[in-house]
Amino acid sequence: ERLNMATPVSVLRLPKGPDPNSRGFDPRSPRFIALCRTSIPASAASEADAEQLQKEQHARSVLRETFLRCLLSMTNKKVQFRMHENVKVEATFGASDIDVLNFQVSDLHTPIGVQKEALIRCQDVISFTFDV
Amino acid sequence: MAMRQTPLTCSGHTRPVVDLAFSGITPYGYFLISACKDGKPMLRQGDTGDWIGTFLGHKGAVWGATLNTDATKAATAAADFTAKVWDAVSGDEILTLAHKHIVKTVNFTQDSSCLLTGGNDKLLRIYDLSNPEAAPQEIAGHTSAIKKALWYNNDKQILSAAEDKTIRLWDRSSMQEVKTLTFDTSVSSMEYMTDGDILVITYGKTIAFYNALSLDLIKSVEAPAPINSASLHPEKDFFVAGGDDFKLYKFDYSNKEELESYKGHFGPVHCVRFSPDGELYASGSEDGTLRLWQTAVGKTYGLWKCVLPEDLGAENSEQLYTSPPEIKA
Repeated sequence: ERLNMATPVSVLRLPKGPDPNSRGFDPRSPRFIALCRTSIPASAASEADAEQLQKEQHARSVLRETFLRCLLSMTNKKVQFRMHENVKVEATFGASDIDVLNFQVSDLHTPIGVQKEALIRCQDVISFTFDV
Repeated sequence: MAMRQTPLTCSGHTRPVVDLAFSGITPYGYFLISACKDGKPMLRQGDTGDWIGTFLGHKGAVWGATLNTDATKAATAAADFTAKVWDAVSGDEILTLAHKHIVKTVNFTQDSSCLLTGGNDKLLRIYDLSNPEAAPQEIAGHTSAIKKALWYNNDKQILSAAEDKTIRLWDRSSMQEVKTLTFDTSVSSMEYMTDGDILVITYGKTIAFYNALSLDLIKSVEAPAPINSASLHPEKDFFVAGGDDFKLYKFDYSNKEELESYKGHFGPVHCVRFSPDGELYASGSEDGTLRLWQTAVGKTYGLWKCVLPEDLGAENSEQLYTSPPEIKA
C-alpha cells in the first residue's frame, strides 16, 4: 500500500441529493420550460387563438380549484375509495401530499381488518366518493 | 504537485445500484440514470451528480435503465415483469410494457422509435414506440436468462448476452442469428458506443475488446479481481473497470498497463461508465451509491476545482472543501 501524501482535489460542494418531499423534475428548470409540451391543446397549435386559449385556461383553473377544494372538504370525513384489482375500501381522509402521490388516511377498513393509519397510493385509486 | 482523486458520492438510493447509463450531450448538458434494487430509478445531471428526479411507478427491483440520446426519454427494466418508458423531462410514465418474467435490459434505437428488451424469459423483444399496443417482435434462441441487449451496427443488428455463456448477434430484419461468441463463464457486462468500433466485454477477471464489425478479438486484459463492468474512454486511450474487490481500476488501452486503482465503495462495483465527453466516469455499487471519478485528476470540471498553491489562503468568495469526510455506511 503506497502512502499517498498528495493533496486531494478540492470540490465546490457535494452533489445535491434527492428532495424527500417530492419526486423532482422541477417545472421551473430551463429544460422543463423549454421541452415540456404544454398540456393546453390550443396553445400547442402553431397559431394559438388567444380567445380559445383563454377559455381553456379558465376551464383548467376552474377544474383545478374544484379538485383542491374537494380535497379540503374531505378532511376528517369518511371516504370510499374504488381502486384497481376490484378493491373498495373506506377510510377517514387526512391529507394529500403535494404531488398527489399519496393520501394519508385513518381507520382504513379493509377485508382483513381495520388499519389505524395508512397511506393510499393515488395511482392505484380509480375514484373516491364522500358525502359533502 | 501530485493530486489525489476526490470521488463525488451521490446518495439517495437505499439498495444496490445495479445499472447506470449516460445520455448523449444535449443543450442542457448530459444526464445519468441509475437502476436500483429499491425500485426507484433516478435521473441526475451528468457532470455534477445533482439529483434531478426519481421515476416512481415500478413495484420491484429495477435491473436496467437507459436514456435516449437527447435525454428526453428514459426506459427501465424491472423485477415486476414490466419495462417502462418515461418522459425524462417531466418524470411522467409514458408506457408500461408487460412481460412474462423479470426484465433485465432495455435499449432505445438511435431515433428512439423502438425499444429492445430482454430478461429472464430468454426472449428479445422489439417494441415500436409509435404503436405500443401492437405485439412486439420476438426473437428466441438464448437458452438462459438474457442479461444485456443492445442495438448494434446502426440499429441494423442486435447483440445480446445471456446466462447461457453466449453473446449472440442477430439481424434485425430477418430476426436470424448471425454469429455466436461462446465463453467458459457467464459474461458480466457488454458495452458498445453507438459511434464506436470497439465492443467491450467482461467475464471473470477478463476485460476483452472486440472489433465491432468482425467480432474478432483485438486484445484482452486480466484485472486483479473479478470484474463486473468496464468502459472504454471515447478517445480510446483509457478504460476503467470495477468488480468484486470494491475498487475502480484505470488502465492504459494501448499498453494494457494498470495506471491507477481507487478505493471508495463499500461493496462490489456493479457498473461503470465513462461520460460522453470522457471527462469523468460513474460507478454504481452494492453499497447503494453512485460515485463520480475524474479522468484527469485535478482538472477543473463539474464540481471539481483545480486549486493552484498560490490560490490557497487567497481571498476567495467561493467556499472550497478538501477531501469531504467519508461517511461509513
